[in-house]
This record gives sequence, structure tokens and C-alpha cells, in this order.
Amino acid sequence: MSTLLEVSGISVSFDGFKAINNLSIKIAEPELRAIIGPNGAGKTTFMDIVTGKTRPDEGYVIWGEKSVSLLGMSESQIAQAGIGRKFQKPTVFEAQTVRENITMALKNPRRPLDLLFNKAAADTEDRVRAISDDIGLTDALDQVSGALSHGQKQWLEIGMLLAQDPRLLLVDEPAAGMSAVEREQTTDILVRAAQTRAVVVVEHDMDFIQRLNCKVTVLHQGAVLAEGSLDHVTKNQDVIDVYLGR
Amino acid sequence: MKNTFIAKNPSVLWFMLGLSLFTVIVSICSEAAGTALISTSFLKTLGKTLCLCLVAVAMDVAWGYCGILSLGHFAFFGIGGYAIGMWLMYDRTKNIVVSSLESNILPATPEEITDAIGSQIFGVVGSSDFPLIWAFSHSLTLQLLAVVLVPGLLALVFGWFAFRSRVAGVYLSILTQAMTLALSLYLFQNDTGLRGNNGLSGLQNIPGLEAVSQATLSLWFFWASALALAAGYLLFAWMTSGKFGSVIRAIRDNEARVRFLGYHVESYKLFIFTVTAMVAGVAGALYYPQAGIINPAEIAPIASIYLAVWVAIGGRGRLYGAVIGAAVVSLMSSWFTGGSAPDINLGVYVVKWTDWWLVLLGLTFVAVTLFFPKGIGGLFDLLPRKGERT
Repeated sequence: MSTLLEVSGISVSFDGFKAINNLSIKIAEPELRAIIGPNGAGKTTFMDIVTGKTRPDEGYVIWGEKSVSLLGMSESQIAQAGIGRKFQKPTVFEAQTVRENITMALKNPRRPLDLLFNKAAADTEDRVRAISDDIGLTDALDQVSGALSHGQKQWLEIGMLLAQDPRLLLVDEPAAGMSAVEREQTTDILVRAAQTRAVVVVEHDMDFIQRLNCKVTVLHQGAVLAEGSLDHVTKNQDVIDVYLGR
Repeated sequence: MKNTFIAKNPSVLWFMLGLSLFTVIVSICSEAAGTALISTSFLKTLGKTLCLCLVAVAMDVAWGYCGILSLGHFAFFGIGGYAIGMWLMYDRTKNIVVSSLESNILPATPEEITDAIGSQIFGVVGSSDFPLIWAFSHSLTLQLLAVVLVPGLLALVFGWFAFRSRVAGVYLSILTQAMTLALSLYLFQNDTGLRGNNGLSGLQNIPGLEAVSQATLSLWFFWASALALAAGYLLFAWMTSGKFGSVIRAIRDNEARVRFLGYHVESYKLFIFTVTAMVAGVAGALYYPQAGIINPAEIAPIASIYLAVWVAIGGRGRLYGAVIGAAVVSLMSSWFTGGSAPDINLGVYVVKWTDWWLVLLGLTFVAVTLFFPKGIGGLFDLLPRKGERT
């Protein structure tokens, strides 16, 4: 297990409010990591910083074997470097079919002229199939994705992430609004994905985290409060006070 | 056969058939064909309408497909017109000047000829010197290149600054409108070298083709416009199908998400903005020789707003919708404002369409936006389809 992503000492504030306060996290490859924390703990801001949407006021974000800094790279460059992101609200392109959504995400050259003049790779269909099998949407390939159920949209978005073939997946609340059966399938998809790459899951739901059975980082007020196995952090007195104290 | 371009885009085939049929019928009815069922002036109107359809298709790709509500595409259209107009005016004036100086005892020197052309063209704004931007006006080839390159370059530079700063949505519309207004105000000045508010005129006379009657010339321009529309339609149908089309539609719907998929959204927008501007330039270069005159009022922001209205009424996000919108609305507009529409006498008030057409158009635009967001083109969705997937 080598370190894939190293976030060290980052801080960011919005209008005086410190959303992230001297936060440091290391993610290895492969690894499955859960990040939990109360609302406003900085979970989503952390993802925004890693994916280039938000610039931190201070600190470093270091990526890969060559230790390149992600700060100063654009969103699309970071995505091409191998970081995929799934949003809290499922954001698939609803006017387009499942196949078009997956094809768009597939790892391929991404400049305008590439798309216009390159012949589609011969294995495109196979790769789309493999992804759709993985997320259980093969029968819906030619459906407009706006017609999918909420859970299916979540899976399609995870499928689009997998299609990008990223080394690091950032997944924001994948189980939100899912039924118990759907949650189980989602856990399977994530655990399978984490065998070959790094997967970071932000989640509120403790049962869901339990099933992921992985290392947990607890965020509070923009900093790491505790880190370790779920059992370990739930016994931590600080964690109990701020988060589990109910 | 299942995966050919036409099989995937049946509307392209239907459009080409319709356009060919229209062209053949109009040609047979033209004065040049001898039947004279269509007057030459109406033939010119039809030819101009085809050019408006072409710029509407370009606008639809920018707005309906990629979500760039540009209020500057008619400026690119006008630039194309000016670019071809400069050659038309220069070369025709030169022919006239040369033939009038032939009677002189001493042959005219090149300087004398240039001076005479200059005072002919720029006398109206009190000058006789050729401004720098007329440097290439002697060459048809260079001015034809300018038809494409000047709008393309302007769009490229403007778009680069705008998209790089992530200006989008209504702010981009305002910015493009400001560009259009600035260009139009600039051209209205006499010392800009493009004859101020006089514009360029006499463009219907093509140098070297003086012997050809206007009836025949108009038919040629009509054919050229139909050909350009067909080519432009094919180009954009090809661009908007397939994965490229998929990505630009995704940018329209959620550009932040497309960025996180690893696509450089700004490059795509810039590409679309520039290519559609170039096509708009070509459309303008075919339009103004049929109109005969171009002046800065043509570039005024209202023209670009009309363009957006046509596309909205015709149906955004489908190429034939833009064609229908531009054709229907612009032809109706010239019918209503041309005085041929009968006035409605309400007893207490007489509705004169020349005054009330804009009100009707405005109400139609509002109604379409509110109640039929798919526009006229949306009616085609109601047609039953063969072998439709369930």
C-alpha cells in the first residue's frame, strides 16, 4: 500500500468561516476509506479541494508516485489525472441514454477534435457492457437516464465513475435515498471497486459504514477528530461527544 | 446499414429531400426559367431566407445544443457581408473608373485609377484615401478568406477571454450583446473606413458578370444559398451526432459535471462558438449580395435578438427547428411589414400590421417560451414513428 493522495495542513475559509482547518489526510492505493462527520464538518469542501473546485488558502495536496501538486490544476486536468467524483445528488445527464452517459465517461482522449475525428475505439461496446453489467443497468442501456429510478441514477453515476477508470474515487453519500436492497448492492459495488483502487466514501449512515468494513476518518469543524476502525472511533470519547452523543 | 449516419439521423435525409424539392420548384418558377411565376425580387427574398436559415442553424448549435445564448451571431453574419461587400464595391468601381478614363488622351496611371476609385467609394464620407482595412479588397480570394477568418478570429479571441473567465449564462449573453453594440456603433462612424451609416451598396451587381441579367444572377445566388444551407446543415448534423454532440449537450445541461468527467469545457465552448461564427460569416456573405446593401444598422443588437427568437419559436436543440423558425418568422415578418397584410378594421381602431407585427411577434415569443418550449419543431415529436422502441 503506497500513498496515493496526501492532503496536508489545508485550510480554507468562506467569508471568515473556517470550513477546513489544518486538515491532513492520507489515502493509500488500494484502500477503502469512509469519512464521517456532522453537517458542516467540511466533508464536501474536502472533496471540492481535491477535485479542484475550491482553492485552499494554505496547505498541500500531493498526488501519485511523482508527488505532483493538484493545486493549480483545473478540474478537467485533475479528473484526467485519475480522480473521479460522485456528487451527493445524482447528477447524470438526464436527457441522454444510459449508453451515452457511460460512453461519455469512458477513459478515452478528451479533446474536441479527438471526439470529432477519432473512430470510436473497437472495444467501446464491450467496455460499456462491462460497466453496465457491474451496475446492473444492461437492460436499460438505451433508456433515457432521466427515466431511471433514484437508486438506478446513483448506480449510473457510480458506473460513470468506474468508466473513467480513476485511481481515486470520491463518493459523496452514495446510499442517500436508497432502499435496503439497493444499499447492499451499492456496498458490493464499492467494495469491489476498492480492491484495485482507492475509494473514499462520505456517508452519514452508520449501518452503511459498518457494512463497508473499512478505516474511518471522523471530521469535525474542518479537522480530523479521530481515525481508525469503526469500533475504535465509536469508542473515542471526543467522537461520542460531538457526533454520536445522542 | 443500421449504423450509417443517415440511418441514425433520419431527419437529415428528410431535410435534404425537402430542400432539394424546394430548390427545384423555385427554379422552375423563376423568371430565369421563363415561367416567371416567382418575381425576381421574391426569388431574392427566398434566397436571403435560406441564408437566414443557415445562420439560425449555427445559432441553434451554439444555443440549443451547447447552451451558449450568443447575442452576437448576427454581428458575425454582418462581418461576412462586409467582407464580401468590400471586394464587390472595389472591383465594380474599378471597372467603371477604368472604362470612364479610357477616353482620356493620356492613359491613366495606376495612382490616378486608385485615387479615382477611392474618391468614388469614400467621397460620401468626405475622403478619398483607402483605409488600411481595404488593403485586400482588390482580391476576391483574400476577401473570401476574410468572410470566414475575420468572424472566426473575432469569435476565437472574444470567446477565449469570456469562456476562460467562466462567463456563462445570461452574463455571456450580455457580454456578446455589448460586443455587437460596440461593433455596430463603431461602424456607424464615418472615419472607420467602411462608409459609416451609408454602408456598402450596389452589392447586387457582380463585377465581371455585368452581362448576366439580375433574374439569372438571383437564381445563381439562390442555388448557392441552398447549397450552403445543405452543407452547413450536414456539417452541424455530423457534429451534433455522436460523442461530440453528446458532450456539448451535457455541457448545456450541467457543465460542472462535464468538467469532473475530465473534459475541458472551455475548449468545447470556444470550438462551437468559433465554428458557428464562421458559418454565420458565410451566410452573411451570401445574403448581402442578394440584399444589395449592408449598413451598420444590420449589425445592431436587435438583429441578433431576432435570431434567438427565430430559433426559440422554431424549436431549440433540433437543426430543422431552427430552419423552420427562421423561414417562417422572417417570411411572415416581411409579409406583415411589407404592407401586403390586410389591415383589420375594428371599427374604433384599425390594426395596421406594419405597426402591430412586432407586438404579435413578441407575444408569440412569450407564448412559445411559456407553453411550447419545444417550438414548432416539437410538433414532429407527435408524429408516430415506424419501429419505435417501447
